[in-house]
Amino acid sequence: MEAVLTRHIEANAPLDLEAYRSVGGYRSLDAAFARKPEEIIEIVEAANLRGRGGAGFSCGLKWRLRDADAPRPRYLVCNIDESEPGTFKDRYLLYGGPHQIIEAVIVSAYALQAEKAVIFVRGEYGKGGHGLHRAIKEAEMAGLVGSNICGSGFDLQMEVHISGGRYICGEETAMLNAIEGLRPNPRHKMPRPSVKGLWQHPTTTNNVETLVNVPHILLNGADWFRALGINSGCGPKLFCVSGMVHQPGLFELPCGTPARELIFEHAGGLAEGRTLLGFIPGGASTAFLLPEHLDVPMDFDPVAKAGSRLGTASIIVLDDTTCPVQVTLNLMRFFARESCGFCTPCRDGIPYLAQILATIASGEGRAEDLVLLEELSGIIALQSFCAFAPGAMIPLISSLQCFHDHYESHIDTGCCPFDAVNKSGA
Amino acid sequence: MGTMRIDGHDIPFQENDNILKAALAANIEIPYFCYHAALGSLGACRLCAVEVASVDPTQSPRVVMSCLEFARDGLNVSVSAAAARQVRQRVIEFLMINHPHDCPVCDEGGECHLQEMTVACGPPYRRYRGRKRTFTNQYLGPLVHHEMNRCITCYRCTRFYQDYALGDDLGSMRLRNEVYFGRFQDGPLTSPFAGNLVEICPTGVFTDAVFRQHFARVWDLETAPSICPHCSVGCNTLPGARDGTLRRMRNRFHPELNRWFICDRGRYGHQYSEHIDRPLTPRVRDEKVSYREALAAAAEQIKAARDKTSGLGSTREDLESNAMLQTLLNKLSGRFATFSDPQIETATVAAVAALQSSGGAPSLAEIEQADAALVVGDLTAHAPMMDLALRQAYRAGAKLAILHSGPSLLARFAATTLTVPPQEISAHLLRLHEQATAAPTAPTAPAPSNKHEKELADIAVYLTAAQRPVLIGVSETMAVPEIAAMVQLATALGSRAKLAYALPGANTYGTILLTPTTSTTAMLEAIESGQIQTLIVIGNDPLGDARLGTRWRAARRHLSTLIVLDCVATATAEAADILLPVAAWAERGGTFVNYEGRAQGFAPVFQRTEPLPNTVEVLADLAHCLELALPDAAAVLSNLFPGYQAPLPGTLGSALSAPPLTMQTGTTIGPASSAHPGHWQVALASWYGDDPLASYAPALMELAPAAAALIHPTAAFKEGIEDKKQVRLRGPAGTVVLPVQLNNDVAAGTIALSRVTLTQLGVGHGDLLELEHIS
Ligand SMILES: Cc1cc2nc3c(=O)[nH]c(=O)nc-3n(C[C@H](O)[C@H](O)[C@H](O)COP(=O)(O)O)c2cc1C
Ligand code: SF4
Ligand code: SF4
Ligand code: FES
Repeated sequence: MEAVLTRHIEANAPLDLEAYRSVGGYRSLDAAFARKPEEIIEIVEAANLRGRGGAGFSCGLKWRLRDADAPRPRYLVCNIDESEPGTFKDRYLLYGGPHQIIEAVIVSAYALQAEKAVIFVRGEYGKGGHGLHRAIKEAEMAGLVGSNICGSGFDLQMEVHISGGRYICGEETAMLNAIEGLRPNPRHKMPRPSVKGLWQHPTTTNNVETLVNVPHILLNGADWFRALGINSGCGPKLFCVSGMVHQPGLFELPCGTPARELIFEHAGGLAEGRTLLGFIPGGASTAFLLPEHLDVPMDFDPVAKAGSRLGTASIIVLDDTTCPVQVTLNLMRFFARESCGFCTPCRDGIPYLAQILATIASGEGRAEDLVLLEELSGIIALQSFCAFAPGAMIPLISSLQCFHDHYESHIDTGCCPFDAVNKSGA
Repeated sequence: MGTMRIDGHDIPFQENDNILKAALAANIEIPYFCYHAALGSLGACRLCAVEVASVDPTQSPRVVMSCLEFARDGLNVSVSAAAARQVRQRVIEFLMINHPHDCPVCDEGGECHLQEMTVACGPPYRRYRGRKRTFTNQYLGPLVHHEMNRCITCYRCTRFYQDYALGDDLGSMRLRNEVYFGRFQDGPLTSPFAGNLVEICPTGVFTDAVFRQHFARVWDLETAPSICPHCSVGCNTLPGARDGTLRRMRNRFHPELNRWFICDRGRYGHQYSEHIDRPLTPRVRDEKVSYREALAAAAEQIKAARDKTSGLGSTREDLESNAMLQTLLNKLSGRFATFSDPQIETATVAAVAALQSSGGAPSLAEIEQADAALVVGDLTAHAPMMDLALRQAYRAGAKLAILHSGPSLLARFAATTLTVPPQEISAHLLRLHEQATAAPTAPTAPAPSNKHEKELADIAVYLTAAQRPVLIGVSETMAVPEIAAMVQLATALGSRAKLAYALPGANTYGTILLTPTTSTTAMLEAIESGQIQTLIVIGNDPLGDARLGTRWRAARRHLSTLIVLDCVATATAEAADILLPVAAWAERGGTFVNYEGRAQGFAPVFQRTEPLPNTVEVLADLAHCLELALPDAAAVLSNLFPGYQAPLPGTLGSALSAPPLTMQTGTTIGPASSAHPGHWQVALASWYGDDPLASYAPALMELAPAAAALIHPTAAFKEGIEDKKQVRLRGPAGTVVLPVQLNNDVAAGTIALSRVTLTQLGVGHGDLLELEHIS
């Protein structure tokens, strides 16, 4: 497949406005303004563009569900908080092609008839955020952002908000609080942000990768987009592969490309003599898959059918020298650290789990600890306030299922078997 | 509005009720931490889990948070379901991971919500084997003690402090299991309502620092329903005493008044009754004597000057004591008054007359519902809980207008602030009335400085547009014309407008009903002309009066005998020939009539180890010594107020039926006859901890603002006065040297001074004063 989203990405020297226009940038504005907003929503829905931020919700449907007569002002928030371990796709888009993002936000805001757009950038991506800010100023000077864009009568203000820097700020409603200058605790989802979001005004949030597809769909049509995918997938997809592979990296491939191809062809496979233990398909908050799942197409429904989630399409590979208990402990420590501290099960429960895992990983676990992990993780997943904790429990619960023997051997032998193997191998 | 079922009981609910609220209203216990009736639902603690049956019988029931789920008709809820119980048990287990196991020595023990919930729903054994997370505590000032390790992160403290009480120096910081509730730096909490943290925190993070100093286990405390003696609002309280001493104060729920909260004056002012200098032994001249001897000496003096005896009651003494003193003096054909400053007396009579004629003052609950309000004066300092009620109105979108001369904490929340010298308040009110009626009565009222026309017009617009406007004045800093102007404005706004005044004492309304015509000047003149030889003072301090202290001290020399009954060591008590220490309010029962005219009873809470008689008893004993037959207080009161029934402590209180008062005329705020020349106007800079009793409470007084002459920067610049430089102020009573403090909340040409400084100088609010530079 020819690169679509990354075609004009220059990692260290992003195209300026002029250069971007010379390769066809901002052409989709004309295509958009020539249409009625609801027509654009129909096309996006027909393209079956699904959210790239993790949940995979249909973008067109989300836009349609935001009341067309919603009171003004309306907001569009573009999510570049990208903090999911293993995920670095939005970073490419941000650092390598700010104008593509601006173009996408303009046409999407037009479709939603939103007059204000906020682009929320992960704190650690500050430099990229500043670059984006400069690009917006450039676009403003050229009349592409601001009032009466290109004579269309459509007005749009665009702001960059650089995050204070926490994983939870990427959660839709926590992000709204963060933008408002409040503590980034998630909000109760009633009423929905599409009714009462930023400063209580109707707000739509999308991941940046979701949005950058929109100009291409507008220019080339819904059928073109659907045809780009393979194995039931639609459109191009950015995949990240990391972990125990030769060439970790970012790959733009048809949505639906099997995991085997990603790991063994594009990422160069495993080191000499190693075998695959398993992999996480979609970032830290998705369930482990096993070697038997290598041929599952990396698309939303097939991965879900295999028992995991496509998430951010970020594969983390474990080989036979990686202790899955250690990996899970590492993830739990991450989630314990990133909990916003709002609700009890997540705030106090996840550190508790991490503590139990640490005892098991160091060989001091007891048989009843496995029962405890199961019991507690179930409650935490079901009874927390936002989707963070359920997401955090997914890898733990699946790790306990996929790698049960490893947990038992840690407890039975009183040490980490991988330590012994890795030491003797070294 | 509908009915749902909880564990087999039919429970009614109102529209928009959540399950938890409806259940609690029906006395069904669902455990919870973060929900609070005043703060609403949050959904953070996850303790309120219940099981809800699905409408579709093939679907399994769901566990939901009862505080976040609307009650619906026909909903079938189970609190006792195993799944819900398991969630609650795990929540408690999680919360107890880091909680110190110090219950046996914890000062919250016995009234700790966490302890109760742990016993009720928690697992009996600890499974967590790791280390506990710990925090460093902060110094938060003399009133509230901080112990962060006990925190269960329910966010109640910040929701109360920031969201409800609009304070800004306590908040939540950091994240994960390290969320910290405190200040940016150590230092005293600045909110006048900070003490409520002690009650709002379900565990022992914030505890009463004063109570801690003289601690008792809460189950050992003697308590009884009481009323706060520190201002005219009459918040309902629950004092706690042990071993003959008063230890602490808590809020007691009154649905129309204070509801869940009290102010810090009310919570910490009680220390006056344990003050080290509190008079406990009767004294005749310089000699300590027994109660009997003191009574005999007093009786002897009164007999010797039988028709030359008068009595001064007090707005901080209960209805019974004042009525008994009045009755005694009737028998002795003597005079009776209740104020030491006639100017304040006249204004207060006018205020009560206005309250009576305006169809009744709004309750605090009604003030909260206001959609626009005008406040005249510094409400926070005179009726702190009225301020808190207005903050609720502000939160709901009400527009506030503040017309004031000196510092006012409420000004921050005002849509319009008019900071004008005391003598210009009345003109502004008249002009506002004109604007509000839009029919200027010719000739126009003395024009206030034109620069305020725009602001006055704004205020007029939102007051007239409001559905529930409220006007509140601080009567201590007003005179009759200001009070009358507010009545006029209220009348112009029509019957939907409510009028209230913060009055200068817990029982001011009650004493005014006893003495409906002003009588202080006549009494003072009678003393000065030698017509009175013996004066009985109960709970009042004329010799310490700000404006008239000098005159009273001079008058005192004409008295042959000054008899004082009090429980604090005032200037008057110290100057007494015969001093009879009496029980403080928590040591006796009585009745206070609040600013609405609501008579509320308070019960005796405890007895001192060596009990003191109360004022009513002393007066009865005195009458006995004088061989006078004095009816008991209840008989006296039912004689005065037709159909009088003493309001029972713990009830909502009741109105007294009394004939309407007439508003007398008077001059606007300004120099009295004892006028002192000068070109600065004096404004009272009071603060929330400031009343005659609470000023004997040491911990609270640690927070009193340092003495200073507060001047607006522009005025100071014009006069060449610099910040922090010393200036000399001369008043009829004395000279005071103070540092200048520039303050934007002070009107032009005005010096704002504390009550203590006013007393030292012998001037009152609105008087004139000269200021000298010290080079
Ligand atoms: C804990 C948590 C973290 C999240 N972080 C991100 C993020 O960094 N970037 C993102 O695009 N979406 C993130 N999401 C998903 C967003 O809440 C939201 O669903 C998404 O931005 C919607 O965009 P989409 O529909 O285009 O995928 C996160 C969700 C959760 C629960
Ligand atoms: S689940 Fe975790 S991240 Fe979400 S609200 Fe609760 S504490 Fe915050
Ligand atoms: S300090 Fe108290 S009120 Fe505040 S969050 Fe902690 S437990 Fe709750
Ligand atoms: S009371 Fe419902 S979650 Fe805390």
